[in-house]
Amino acid sequence: MTVFVRGAIVLVGAGGLAIAGGAMACGSDTPTPKRTVESPRYVVAWQTLPAPPVVGEHFVVDMVVCPKPGAKRPSSVRIDAQMPDHRHGMNYRPSVTAAGGDRYRAQGLMFHMPGRWVIEIELSDGVVTDRFPTEMVVK
Amino acid sequence: MTFARSLTHRGRVIAFARTLRHTLAIVALAAASTSSYGQPVQFTPDEVARIVSHGPWPPKPVRDPSNRASGNADAIAFGERLFFDTRLSSNGLVSCARCHQPGKFFTDGHARSIGLAPGDRNAPTIVDLSGRRWYGWDGAHDSIWSQSIRPLLDAREMGMTPATVAAVIRREHDFACRYRMAFRKPPPENDQQVLVDVGKALAAFQETLVSERTPFDAFRDALDRGDQAAMANYPEAAKRGLRIFVGRANCSACHVGPAFTNGEFHDVGIGFFASPGKVDPGRHAGIARLKANPYNLLGHFSDDPSRSSATSTRHVTHEHRNFGEFRVPSLRNVAGTAPYMHDGSLKSLRDVVRHYSELNEERLHVHGERILKPLHLDNAEFADLVAFLESLGSGVSAFRLAQRSRPVCDGP
Repeated sequence: MTVFVRGAIVLVGAGGLAIAGGAMACGSDTPTPKRTVESPRYVVAWQTLPAPPVVGEHFVVDMVVCPKPGAKRPSSVRIDAQMPDHRHGMNYRPSVTAAGGDRYRAQGLMFHMPGRWVIEIELSDGVVTDRFPTEMVVK
Repeated sequence: MTFARSLTHRGRVIAFARTLRHTLAIVALAAASTSSYGQPVQFTPDEVARIVSHGPWPPKPVRDPSNRASGNADAIAFGERLFFDTRLSSNGLVSCARCHQPGKFFTDGHARSIGLAPGDRNAPTIVDLSGRRWYGWDGAHDSIWSQSIRPLLDAREMGMTPATVAAVIRREHDFACRYRMAFRKPPPENDQQVLVDVGKALAAFQETLVSERTPFDAFRDALDRGDQAAMANYPEAAKRGLRIFVGRANCSACHVGPAFTNGEFHDVGIGFFASPGKVDPGRHAGIARLKANPYNLLGHFSDDPSRSSATSTRHVTHEHRNFGEFRVPSLRNVAGTAPYMHDGSLKSLRDVVRHYSELNEERLHVHGERILKPLHLDNAEFADLVAFLESLGSGVSAFRLAQRSRPVCDGP
């Protein structure tokens, strides 16, 4: 089973994190700028380093994955990106490592062309997979 | 926090000032420039941002953490000696400079290079190599030193082996002397280590080859600072060509940044056949060679203990779509590096522009760049785009090489 969550991005200000549908504070202690996405089971706060990514240079994605009540911590966290208008993805396959608690770090991403990219975080508990696609326009 | 807010406020002020400056620059350009149709050249704010992204130039020098000889003056001098010396070839007649001639911006003017025997690819310039991710038309190498080893060992280029390279370095007094000066020890018994160090000295020299500022750079900087008088010095045809380059031709989608390359690989519709019946797979084979190469940045010959410089090598994907892809070349000094493309099949800059103007979409395989479409340039647009590309050269006909190495080695 797969759950798709598209587009609902909340840009968070310096004062904290407001998640639609709840009063959670997922990743509220991480630096801004930050984006958040959520599904019925998870809230994910994430940011790129640097922000925004520079065309043709590797960047990192730091994620905080917060399971909602009743949801298990994901057994698998992946990330990838596509350039739909150009019909290709990245030339690099990112690696994701656990960084303690609910934190994860993805390395090896690169947007090698300017334009519209869709970056997708994928969480799985081994049975159900939640996907969080987010559009980014890189100049 | 206050400091952070202050920085944020200051950043906004700077951003506003830059926007205002660019707006004034646009107005100035509109007033000062006219197109071939008598209409003013008007760069939009987006175009100005794209133009400014192609600088500043030159870049700050960066040392290669995988090469302990990088930036070392003695290693640079040693590398320069090696580069022009024919003793590193099996017949004693071929040097690196045979295919990379300073008088031709370190190319050779041939469609396909000829070392000990004819090759399949065009000799790319080796100017402005520092800081790139991939080297060679297929990116089979992830450092300049690794790339520099390849022609030494290629049977069609210099025809050496690790043992014969090491023997020459140990035997020839001036090489052994310069090796000791560069690496603070005599050439070791390990042939592969000597070979790698020769590659690293060659790399240290090549890192110093940086192209000069160009008329485009002067215009770009003037645009960035809103200097109307300086902007007026840039030819009108080049301005119109620049607008095509960053605009409807979308060349800057791949020719990104100050070096005019994203450092990656694309299929742009050049034929796959190196010769009748012989296919050049390009990047697809390059990635396979990269991963199998003992001299890549993940191997133990890298001097970067953290392997942080190996991020690209560690994460690069190997997919079918890489077939027929070749590296996006820099466009700096492009007018001086004919012929063009990985196989040297396009003789002139006008042929290159014509290729993209009349692009045969049938030649792009199924995974080709979807954004590539024939530009259908009219004669005036064609000339303007060529004028812009010519403005990416410094105006001199040859690369000026500073002679750094002393004729006689007087080291330990």
